[in-house]
Amino acid sequence: MGSRFVLSLIGALLLTESAAGGTAAVATTGIDEQAKLPYWQLANKYMSLRLVQRLPDQSRGFFQARAFSKEHAERIAQSCVFQTVFKNLSNQSDPSPLEYNMREWVVYSKGRERGMKTREDWATEWQEAQVAQPSRIAFEWAMMPTRQAYEPGDYNWGMSMFNLKPDTPFDVKVVWQQHGKTHNAMIKGIRCAPDIHPDPEEYQ
Amino acid sequence: MTAKRARSVFLFLTLIVMATASVAQEKPRETLPPVDSPYPAPDFELQGEDGKTYKLSDFRGQVVVLNFWATWCPPCRFEMPSMESAWQMLEGKGVMFLGVNVGEDEDTIFEFTGEYPLSFPLPMDRDGSVIKAYDVVGLPTTYIIDPKGRVTHRAVGSRYWDGPHIVDALRALLKKN
Repeated sequence: MGSRFVLSLIGALLLTESAAGGTAAVATTGIDEQAKLPYWQLANKYMSLRLVQRLPDQSRGFFQARAFSKEHAERIAQSCVFQTVFKNLSNQSDPSPLEYNMREWVVYSKGRERGMKTREDWATEWQEAQVAQPSRIAFEWAMMPTRQAYEPGDYNWGMSMFNLKPDTPFDVKVVWQQHGKTHNAMIKGIRCAPDIHPDPEEYQ
Repeated sequence: MTAKRARSVFLFLTLIVMATASVAQEKPRETLPPVDSPYPAPDFELQGEDGKTYKLSDFRGQVVVLNFWATWCPPCRFEMPSMESAWQMLEGKGVMFLGVNVGEDEDTIFEFTGEYPLSFPLPMDRDGSVIKAYDVVGLPTTYIIDPKGRVTHRAVGSRYWDGPHIVDALRALLKKN
């Protein structure tokens, strides 16, 4: 094993976290055991954020089952959807509330910067498209909250959408507040799920 | 860098990854965070999937565990068995559980309870108006309401509701009031 491999491994595992004095968050990647799809994760002793790819077909199926039209389900499926789990891992002996606002996050892809597409952005689109209320309610609560405040032990699951085409590589700057400080960290080398059509029994 | 040194660095990094993964995969904690200052719980009246009507203020004098959930929400599904288990422990002892389903119909909930048997009431917030009256931004979120009708705790994400820490906290809230 050469030094170049080790150095690249270090580069893949460690990332810069600009907040002074905070415990540095470490980025890792792998295959999510439940989803059997790639994930990218940012974590330290006090927080973890995991982004798990969702195949476009999974989103088509989920939203068509909630009475979205094929056209609207397709729009969602083509928006680079990730199952997102954000946790406040601090405990009662060292409690530290955590807050984030996705509007502060920055997506970098192909030399361009952009923001996340939040559930409020989608809500406006669905209202204009006159999507039925039950579908809009299902969509709203299936999405990761745009802003959230977590007490120790709190966490959420939800879909987050990066508004990129399937199979597009990107980086994301994640911003959160904890221990009275703002933390910034980059997760590099993320990739939107490709638009493949797997065996339905293979992916849950 | 020698091959031996490279192997040591690789081993060290592997340990870091394993430690990080174990932190991320740990089970939900039994935390029950108190709200900064207790406030009156917004009242509501909803039809349950059992056809009965449930009004929050009818449970004044009891501790109410008010859970907002949906069938498709993985952490909601995860915590339901422990919620049922806690309900079995506390039913008739001054603690009420209300699992408010958000945006789904009787058939969907009925199908769900075939897989996850639940015996506490499941009121249906079909139009999402009740969840909006609370400051919920993600599912599941659970509020603890004291016998005086005040929200005292809020838990975001799933919990082991039948864990001793939470069960004791619910009992203590009952005694305190």
